[in-house]
Amino acid sequence: MTDYLALAQSVVQQAADHGVEVEAIITHDAETQIKVSGGEVEQLSQASSRGLGVRVIDGGRTGYAYTSDFSADSIERTWRAARDLARVATADEYRALPELTPISDEDLEIWDARLPDVPATDKIDLLKRVERATLDYDPRIILADFCNYGDSINHVYLANSRGFAGQYGRTTVFSYLMGIARGEDGGMVNAFGMGASNFFDELDPVAIGREAGEKAISILGGKPVETQTATIVLDHVVGAEILSALAQALSAGDWQRKRSFLLDRLGQQVGSDMVTLMDNGRLKRGIASAPFDGEGVATSATRLIDEGVLQNLMYDSYSASKDGKTSSGNAQRAGHRSLPRLGPSNFYMQPGHLTRDEIIKGVDRGLYVISVMQTGGIDPISGDCSMGANGLWIENGEIVGPVGGVTIATTLNDFLQNVSQVGGDLRFIPMFGVIGVPTLRIDNVTIGGTK
Amino acid sequence: MIDKALAQKVLAEALRTGADLAEIYVEDVESLRLGMDDSRVETAMRGEDRGAGIRVFFGNLVTYAFTDSLDEQSLIDSARAAAAAGTGSSSQTRIDLTERKSPLEYPVLKPFDTLSIEDKVQLLSQMDEHARAYNPQIVQVSASYDQLRRHMWLFNSDGLQVEDERFYTEIRGGVVARRNGTLQQVRDGFGGRVGLELLDQNDAIAEIESMCETAVKMLDARPCPAGEMTVVMCNGWGGVLFHEACGHQMEADFITKGSSAYAGKIGERVANPIITAIDDGTIPGRRGSLKFDDDGTPAQRTVLIEKGILKEYMWDLVEARRVGRDGSTGNGRRESYRHMPMPRMTNTFIDQGEHDPQEIIESVKRGVYIANMAGGQADIAKGDFVFNATVAYLIEDGKLTAPVRGATIFGNGPQVLNEIDMVGNDLALDPGKGMCGKGQAARVSVGQPTVRIPRVTVGGTDDASA
Repeated sequence: MTDYLALAQSVVQQAADHGVEVEAIITHDAETQIKVSGGEVEQLSQASSRGLGVRVIDGGRTGYAYTSDFSADSIERTWRAARDLARVATADEYRALPELTPISDEDLEIWDARLPDVPATDKIDLLKRVERATLDYDPRIILADFCNYGDSINHVYLANSRGFAGQYGRTTVFSYLMGIARGEDGGMVNAFGMGASNFFDELDPVAIGREAGEKAISILGGKPVETQTATIVLDHVVGAEILSALAQALSAGDWQRKRSFLLDRLGQQVGSDMVTLMDNGRLKRGIASAPFDGEGVATSATRLIDEGVLQNLMYDSYSASKDGKTSSGNAQRAGHRSLPRLGPSNFYMQPGHLTRDEIIKGVDRGLYVISVMQTGGIDPISGDCSMGANGLWIENGEIVGPVGGVTIATTLNDFLQNVSQVGGDLRFIPMFGVIGVPTLRIDNVTIGGTK
Repeated sequence: MIDKALAQKVLAEALRTGADLAEIYVEDVESLRLGMDDSRVETAMRGEDRGAGIRVFFGNLVTYAFTDSLDEQSLIDSARAAAAAGTGSSSQTRIDLTERKSPLEYPVLKPFDTLSIEDKVQLLSQMDEHARAYNPQIVQVSASYDQLRRHMWLFNSDGLQVEDERFYTEIRGGVVARRNGTLQQVRDGFGGRVGLELLDQNDAIAEIESMCETAVKMLDARPCPAGEMTVVMCNGWGGVLFHEACGHQMEADFITKGSSAYAGKIGERVANPIITAIDDGTIPGRRGSLKFDDDGTPAQRTVLIEKGILKEYMWDLVEARRVGRDGSTGNGRRESYRHMPMPRMTNTFIDQGEHDPQEIIESVKRGVYIANMAGGQADIAKGDFVFNATVAYLIEDGKLTAPVRGATIFGNGPQVLNEIDMVGNDLALDPGKGMCGKGQAARVSVGQPTVRIPRVTVGGTDDASA
């Protein structure tokens, strides 16, 4: 077994002896992916891979190169390429490797020691149960599509010329599928079910399968309502999609580039007092948790919006030195092929106490939104937010029937101001980053449908 | 990358447990990315990726293993891992590989090394300077240059041996205009399966100035009215609507599962007879063009819809085998050796129509003209789509009038295809910026002439008209 941390350190040593700063990351991953259809395994993919990425900072100029080839020649070619590329980059006085920070050895509970030994047959069985739970939910479910299981065992080794050397292992497992339902009129709808955890045993196949079945059946036969202004109640998946845009608007890097609808409003009330938004890279059993971030800074918990008041932003070392702050440990790394990039870790809205049913009961007239479709429909710069929606219509606290083919439109600003109730049912959705959201009630939203 | 003798040995190993077909896909990739943001070269990045994926077919079960080491032991180990699901045995120990050549040529007129890295950086600086000089309201500018060489080799136990060395060059730009509290972002780009001749055939500076012009104009945009109305979609990039809302539903994986609205409809009328739609992986210089797809099938031109009649789906090898079809349509594509291929589009477009585009706009009393979109999303089961227009104008009494912001069009792909009642004579493919995501990224082109959709739901933030 190669000592990858020692290898990363030796790359740093070789490349650094010309007065430049160097960081080397080595990732070594093993992953399994399975796809099941109609109770049969359709795809089974297993692989392990590794890679080296070298970042050189030469007088504030950054060059980057990576390779998957660990031969001595290739490693040397890679750090040399990074050094050469640094010469064409623009010098930036704030660009430097971060100061050493103490890394706590607290157990974040992100390593499932059992996962490497779980046989593929157990994973296949789990996935077949996911599929069956969707199909068994209702005879109108005609298909469980994209029925996938995946897991990964990741090892990260990071070293830099300031003396940082660290490593950690993290496991993740996930499963998702799409339930497709057909009504008597032949109309079809679909909905996702999903689950993710650091631990194999925590994945609940029946819950994942049922979610897809239940959601698809509930919106079957939905028709547009009249265009109007009403209350909406957001399911977790929908709330997560909106929160992912808020996460971008709360990144210091986007502020420094003047790309946030919240720009220059630090210390101000930007949302209702129900809104508390957190980013926590040290969350126990957080899918995005790690002891240090993508450039070796200790991760932390940051209160971004506290009861509606904008308090803090997320920082990496670069944006922090620009603003005279300290990094919040938010440099993310998508493997050895990319530079550290400022972004959320486990980003979530602090839950309240209400159940989903209690929230729905309080709505006179509105839409419980179960699924949305959008791309670029939530703009963290202008704050504009517009999406196609499916869900259930609520009248006097009761669900009266499915709705489809409508659009919901608001702005992120109004969204934050109009959050009037927050559920106690916090759930992390790993689709748009790792975003945690409870059921939310939002008032005064334009619903576009028929005249 | 690997020689014939080694390929034969690895294939024999992969077949040993009784597979019907085994395949080795080898890839060697080199990339360079330069990115300027905030007038600074912030991204200067080179990458090398080399590896192989071994795919083994046992009836409808497909197993896959990949490795980033191309030595004999690693390849044999991967072949064994992929073969492990088999319980039978094979007597086929000798595989005769015959190299197949493509008649298609995608010549690179100017190799990547004909410009230095410094020259490439210089181009981005010029884009940045011109954009900033264009108007004081332009507050942010970004520009990027990408070059990619992706060389693939494929060997399979049917004796197939092919290779395809693909070169791509891309330029992207983004500007943000700001006036008082209003911000407007515009992004665009161009590229293709070409070398640096791309930079002679396109004027990067004129392109970014045009983005600035649009962003400044859009600062005056008012909220888009909501409700049902007539929508005219621009030519070229407007074809992304067909790609998302109809094209994906013609991909064979959605057909064989029966989840697509087009399943079982070959020979039936699925669109207005003025609509002909084509997927063509053989167009010179385009992002979706291939010699061979990533199953080793030659690229081809496939008429999907002819005068409103559904003619064909887009097949990859797995789906073609599933239904016993003789070969695929050359639509099997994968993101890298770490991925299995799946049915994907190449260059997909609605074909030329008869109307003058001006005549189409003049025909609309009240509606919205969509000039650019951020991309979109479609629901495969229902064919419902949502598209967010980044640049749109009101049409009033046959004329383009005020710019509008926040316009979202919402509808059903197959239904819209039946309803489109005017197709322009200005067919164009997009400038070469399309990246399709279906679990894996794939370079694609989209295209269409100007089209008119007589009635579609438009979502906006102004419900005054409702």
